[in-house]
Amino acid sequence: MNHLHHPRTTSPKRRHTAVLAAVGLVLALVAGACGTGTTDDTTKGSAVLGPAVSQGTLPRFPDGTKVRVVTHDSFSVSDDVLRQFTDQTGIEVQLIASGDAVAEVSKAILTKGNPEGDVLYGIDENMLSAAFAAQLFQPYQAQGLQNVAAAYQVDPQHRVTPIDHGDVCVNYDRSWFTEKGLPLPTTFADLVQPALAGKLVVEDPSSSSPGLAFLLGTIASLGGGDDPEPTAAWLQYWQQLKANGVKVADSWETAYNVDFSGSAGKGDRPLVVSYASSPPSEVTDPATPPEQAPTGVVAGTCYRQTEFAGVLTGAQNPDAAKAFIEFMLTLPFQEDAPGQMYVFPVNGQAQLPEAWVTYTTPVDKPLSIPYEQVGANRDRWIQQWSTLFR
Amino acid sequence: MVDAVPLTPSSRVAWWRVGLALPPLAFLAVFFAWPVAAIVARGLRPDGQWDLSALGEVVTDPVIRRVAWFTLWQAVLSTVACVVVGLPGAALFARYRFAGKRFLWSALLVPFVLPTVVVGVAMLGVIGPNGVAPVDLSGTIWAILAAHVFFNYAVVVRTVGGLWSTLDPRVEEAARTLGASPWRAFREVTWPLLRPAVAAASSIVFLFTFTSFGVVLILGGIRQRTLEVEIYDQTARFLHLDVAAALALVQLVAVVAVLAWFSRTQQRRAVVLGQRRAVEVQQRPSGWRARTFLAANLVFMAVLLGLPLGVLVARSFSTPQGWGLANYQALDNARRGSTSFVPPLDAVANSLLFAAAATVVAVVLGGCAAWAIAGGRSAPSGRWARWTDTALMVPLGTSAVTVGFGFFVAFDQAPLDLRSSLWLVPLAHAVVAMPFVVRLLVPALRSVDPALREAASVLGASPWRVWHEVDLPVVTRAAAAAAGFAFAVSLGEFGATVFLSRPARPTLPIAIYRALGRPGAANFGQAMALAVVLMALTVVVILGIDRLRPAGASEF
Repeated sequence: MNHLHHPRTTSPKRRHTAVLAAVGLVLALVAGACGTGTTDDTTKGSAVLGPAVSQGTLPRFPDGTKVRVVTHDSFSVSDDVLRQFTDQTGIEVQLIASGDAVAEVSKAILTKGNPEGDVLYGIDENMLSAAFAAQLFQPYQAQGLQNVAAAYQVDPQHRVTPIDHGDVCVNYDRSWFTEKGLPLPTTFADLVQPALAGKLVVEDPSSSSPGLAFLLGTIASLGGGDDPEPTAAWLQYWQQLKANGVKVADSWETAYNVDFSGSAGKGDRPLVVSYASSPPSEVTDPATPPEQAPTGVVAGTCYRQTEFAGVLTGAQNPDAAKAFIEFMLTLPFQEDAPGQMYVFPVNGQAQLPEAWVTYTTPVDKPLSIPYEQVGANRDRWIQQWSTLFR
Repeated sequence: MVDAVPLTPSSRVAWWRVGLALPPLAFLAVFFAWPVAAIVARGLRPDGQWDLSALGEVVTDPVIRRVAWFTLWQAVLSTVACVVVGLPGAALFARYRFAGKRFLWSALLVPFVLPTVVVGVAMLGVIGPNGVAPVDLSGTIWAILAAHVFFNYAVVVRTVGGLWSTLDPRVEEAARTLGASPWRAFREVTWPLLRPAVAAASSIVFLFTFTSFGVVLILGGIRQRTLEVEIYDQTARFLHLDVAAALALVQLVAVVAVLAWFSRTQQRRAVVLGQRRAVEVQQRPSGWRARTFLAANLVFMAVLLGLPLGVLVARSFSTPQGWGLANYQALDNARRGSTSFVPPLDAVANSLLFAAAATVVAVVLGGCAAWAIAGGRSAPSGRWARWTDTALMVPLGTSAVTVGFGFFVAFDQAPLDLRSSLWLVPLAHAVVAMPFVVRLLVPALRSVDPALREAASVLGASPWRVWHEVDLPVVTRAAAAAAGFAFAVSLGEFGATVFLSRPARPTLPIAIYRALGRPGAANFGQAMALAVVLMALTVVVILGIDRLRPAGASEF
């Protein structure tokens, strides 16, 4: 290598060798990625293209009609499924990723009346009050709601339509508990026992959606939400958590990938606030499926979050927006959503993917707080929490 | 004032330079000042009436004061740490030839482009609870400092090292011959000559660390918050625009104050010296002192940069079935057929495209600005140049969420409804990259002997010809370094772009975030593999840019 730095002997050709070698390295890395087959596609697609495709007819629009869909960064749908919508309706879909679920709604409120899109997907209960106060959405009662349980239909005016739900639960690393010979936790109370000191990582409720959901879960379960004092029941529980060495990470990405011992990051904490849908993803080799997933959920801690879609006030094409909402309630989209976004469908007729049936535990009694209460108290609850942890 | 200046040739040149500064300033006004003013006005003038009560509350709030104080002192400490560890590195590159030097010079920029979540994973892999190092520093100020040095080491080494390599070592040798100790020779001869570059580097490092966001969140734990984090929460999460606007003003005042102070330091003009070609002044390390110096520096770089990056590379090859290429192979097919799938080659192409566009804009506009600033030493244009210089730096010290949300408020009406335009991304990157170009070019331009330019002018050369024959050969090295930084800034930039809405043109950092946002070993492994692709791409491109130097310009 020395010759490279001796200018008189460095011929142009030699200089380029180093660059070419480096370029080659990059190309090799990428080409290696391109080289193998696409075996995963069939497993992913099978749940999607069932006989149910024909169910629910959508109106036909003139050619060239466009609908702009504002989503959060986690939105995903199979290309095939999206194409079915375009084939049926003639509407071309433009997806606009607009930050995380909170930033997405904040931005929509900032630009209300002159929105970036026609329909917004991904708002959850935590932001509904703010969105309604800003008159962000125009009402639309979707036909597809007939297959959706009443519990999800929180707005009688139908300004928003429920699309899917996720449950935020504490996940555990099964092998850690097996090695230690400890019983698997099932409730909030179990998490503060001395044997689990320093073993739980949660997310900061002021910066993370699952972090906020877990905080709301403690309030729903332990009470004291009306109490502004530090002695509120839920805050006392957090004091116990703090005394037991809970770690607060900034985001789900850090908590799950870095601190949690049950994921690829191989951290040092066997308990993490994540989702009821996370365990199937930890089954690493589908060829030899184990009986149980390597991780599981603490059922008593699950807090339900529903994701909604709504037609934006000032939409350029509200009819196309309504058609897209109807489409999101049809079986193709509903059965595609679990594999794409790790959420559960709200359509009662939708089938779950096989791995989900095997490796997720149905949450019978999820915790929840009505969105009006969340809207009225969220800032104060976070404030109370902050005085304890900052 | 204008009338008072006699119309000599030099003052004509000065006004021509003012004209040069107009395009970059106009660019800044449209793509930075206007959006920021729009979002601040939305917060402080909610109903068409100024309401400054939030400003009073913010300034007197003890929590905010604590946050502001922490923001300031951690930034000062980080800057000092970067300069202290960066100077020996700069000396090494300026004075010695050694194997692998060119590669290392380019590789220094790798940490600079990595997304913060990835750096968080890398740093925690070293100094975290289960890290390679025997200590757990997570949640402490030391972790933040280490990460800031990891990110910004290249800023100091490349900025200072670039200038240092053009200094004539005979000056220092003369001092030694006259009996000065090495330390005294450095302090009294070399240091004053380096000071403009050190000031440039430290002002950039200061602004980066002053507005640090992800690193503080991930490594600092929840107690340590910066103003940037506070502004993000108030804007994006709570939509308390009045509080956010007040905080943004506090941040702006602090940044301008510090910049003004730096600008006075840099104002002490660079000493004009006959410059030497690097090949004439660089030697192979000989003697135990030089060898130890080389070894110590390399060990430091191996620990500081090599270990965390090594963690990433190792994880990219680690799969549940053992070591292998599975993560790389999965990049192209694991999620094919869904709207969130990013073909790796597309992500590479998008990243290169945006970065190239941003670099061209930043180098052209920043070059204009630098030349205008460097020439303006005599009053009144001296003061004017100083303020231009400060104004161009302000974007680096402004919250990304303020700018990002500002775009939404400012550019929502035709003809400038750019909210979903592809152009927003490279333009936002160029705003961030321009200060680098200015900071690297101004000291280089100031080191050109004005007598040379004047002589050329007197002999009838046009301003263009003077620039081409006198300035250009001197500044090419600085310009290449500046282009490298601009490219790297754009390649890795995530802060501002994350708040812009993105049609389907994902870059590598965005693909990495998408993979990290999904559970499971496969997604984690793919994120690590993408990070390694980004690292390799950075080295290749920066190696290429470092070579873009006309014949006759000094080798490095």
